[in-house]
Amino acid sequence: MSNWDILWSSYDVFLSGFYNTLKLFGLSAVLAFLMGSAMVFLLEGSRPRLKVPLRIFIDGMRMLPFLILAYLLYYGLPSAGIRMSAWTAGIIALVIYHGAYFAEILRGCRSTFAQGQVEAAIAQGFSQPKMFMRIILPQLILKTRGLLGNQLIILLKDTAFLVIITVRELTAAASSLSSTYFIPMEAFIVVIGFYWLISIGLELFIKMIGRFGAKRGFENA
Amino acid sequence: MPETAAVSIRNLSKSFDGTEVLRDVSLEVQPGEVVSILGSSGSGKSTLLRCINWLEQPDRGDIRIAGDRIGVSDTGKPMSRRELAGMRARLGMVFQGFNLWPHLSVLRNVTEAPIHVQGLSKAEADERAMALLEKVGMADKREQYPYTLSGGQKQRVAIARALAMQPKVMLFDEPTSALDPELVGEVLGVIKDLSKEGYTMVLVTHEMEFARAVSDQVVFLDKGIIIEKSHPSEFFENPKTDRVRRFLELEAPAV
Amino acid sequence: MDSSAWGLLIQGAWTTLWISGISIAIGVVMGLLIALLRVAKIPVLHQLLGVYISLARATPLVTLVLFIFLTAPTMGVNLNRNVAGIIALTLNTTAFNAEIWRSAFNNFSKEQREAALAIGMTPWVYFRRIMLPQITITSLPGLVNEMSFLIKGSPAIAVIGVVDLTRVTNRISAVTYDPLPPILAAAVLYMLIISLLVWLQRLAERKASRLAV
Ligand SMILES: Nc1ncnc2c1ncn2[C@@H]1O[C@H](COP(=O)(O)OP(=O)(O)O)[C@@H](O)[C@H]1O
Ligand SMILES: [Mg+2]
Repeated sequence: MSNWDILWSSYDVFLSGFYNTLKLFGLSAVLAFLMGSAMVFLLEGSRPRLKVPLRIFIDGMRMLPFLILAYLLYYGLPSAGIRMSAWTAGIIALVIYHGAYFAEILRGCRSTFAQGQVEAAIAQGFSQPKMFMRIILPQLILKTRGLLGNQLIILLKDTAFLVIITVRELTAAASSLSSTYFIPMEAFIVVIGFYWLISIGLELFIKMIGRFGAKRGFENA
Repeated sequence: MPETAAVSIRNLSKSFDGTEVLRDVSLEVQPGEVVSILGSSGSGKSTLLRCINWLEQPDRGDIRIAGDRIGVSDTGKPMSRRELAGMRARLGMVFQGFNLWPHLSVLRNVTEAPIHVQGLSKAEADERAMALLEKVGMADKREQYPYTLSGGQKQRVAIARALAMQPKVMLFDEPTSALDPELVGEVLGVIKDLSKEGYTMVLVTHEMEFARAVSDQVVFLDKGIIIEKSHPSEFFENPKTDRVRRFLELEAPAV
Repeated sequence: MDSSAWGLLIQGAWTTLWISGISIAIGVVMGLLIALLRVAKIPVLHQLLGVYISLARATPLVTLVLFIFLTAPTMGVNLNRNVAGIIALTLNTTAFNAEIWRSAFNNFSKEQREAALAIGMTPWVYFRRIMLPQITITSLPGLVNEMSFLIKGSPAIAVIGVVDLTRVTNRISAVTYDPLPPILAAAVLYMLIISLLVWLQRLAERKASRLAV
């Protein structure tokens, strides 16, 4: 049997790793984006109460490696009596960390927003949440789509760090197959191919949003 | 018994950083009336208009829309955001800078608030919007996005958008000041049509001829004080104060 | 945490710094070379480099580190962990730097070239004396930003057992049975390193914006 045949015989290991990585990525991408948007919403208004704590949180996260946060949740918190599975710790770390990055991207764009549009919405009787959801957020997404896409790819890549805290994702699959059969080259080529595919998919998705935006006169940010 | 005024402003004062921008302003606008607010730049015209729908909060005085006080609820407490939004929906506002929402098509700009603030169905909102776009001459551009429109077209859409909430009163803050001269006419034409249809309007403008033609009442603000309030023929032909006389000479040189 | 724990932590920080430092130094220069080759648009090579950049940008560092460390022996090369880490970090950061350099080249005004050649400069002198200094200044903010990203990605080398600033916290807690303090201390050290880079990036931005005027 060639090395590739050996790999093919354990395609289910890849598939489950691939599936787990997609699940980690999809779930945390959605939650992190919601969290980032929620933070920007909390910064709305002329004198937001949470401005200082949010600023500290966002800047703090941006100065940390992702893995240290995962370590903190998985290895560190049990000494404070908080225990969770590697999977849970991983997702929470991804959401908190990338939520802060999403918040920073959106906030940066929000601060360049013309006040007039917001006033037009207020004058028409929009409530704050509705205005944010329907007038502000869609434009933030269109304007920052390039940065958001980059961040999604970084998030995807950060899921691989979770192999270090024992999450069974795609890189873990390659690692375990290569140590079982001593065929690291083939195993990792397949896995890197998977990551590449997802990244290309993400880039296409961002291009799609780009067409949506170009039709509305939003040039890329 | 006199009719309830569409807008009634009593003893309104407003300061920014300790500088009084409006001082003890009182003004009544009757239903169907068109009131023009004139005055030189910085005299407080925009602030007055923005106080009417509480985009600025006055320091003193009260403002009623069709008899209901805005900004302060019956119990005397500041209105909740929801109550305030309800009051604001009764006022349509048109801005100097159009302020269309660029991510929405012309039609969706107009239907956005009726659907998501008033709770109209999409079909009802579309129907209402199309009638209004027809009225302002923008029906054929309904699928376009704001960045493709000229300033005059944008402003006509903005007027349709404000009308779509079926407001009791329309507020215009220098609706033609950001337009190239050749585009001013199309927007003034729309406003003139509205006045003929009996809309109640408060209009800040620098178009003297237009103000004279459409207004039932002209108000002159100087440093935050109303120094003249009269019928346009009276105002333009027989100003009571030197201040207004000088203003008219500067604004409308030799007709 | 006692003084020996702090000692270990500082050692870990040093490992992170020197491994990242070497990768950054090589990565900046290699990035420039690759950008030049890309700008020259040499057939085949251009496409190959494009694939490398696209792949390197999509591959997680952890995966790349493992790949290099585990594959090298099958090809008869026995890599020391540190070297494997440096190769992986370098391959990664080079790809990002190449794109930063390339965009600076693409945005560079063509008129300067004509002006330089018109006064008799050779193309090489023009490149070295006129183009490169300016392109370096405009690229610098992006390059420093990428350095921050590399430091934040560097804990990936922990996966092959390099005792960097992240992995050293496992070492310390194996003795003290309390992982929280060393992890927090490591976090603070990372913040110090990154904030230094953020500060440098601001300086670079100020310099770059002066050039833009
Ligand atoms: N939000 C604000 N903060 C501080 N000062 C303001 C603000 N809005 C308006 N002003 C000041 O109030 C005065 C009146 O402004 P405004 O009502 O816009 O005048 P007009 O519309 O007649 O030109 C001006 O001196 C202006 O600088
Ligand atoms: Mg004004």
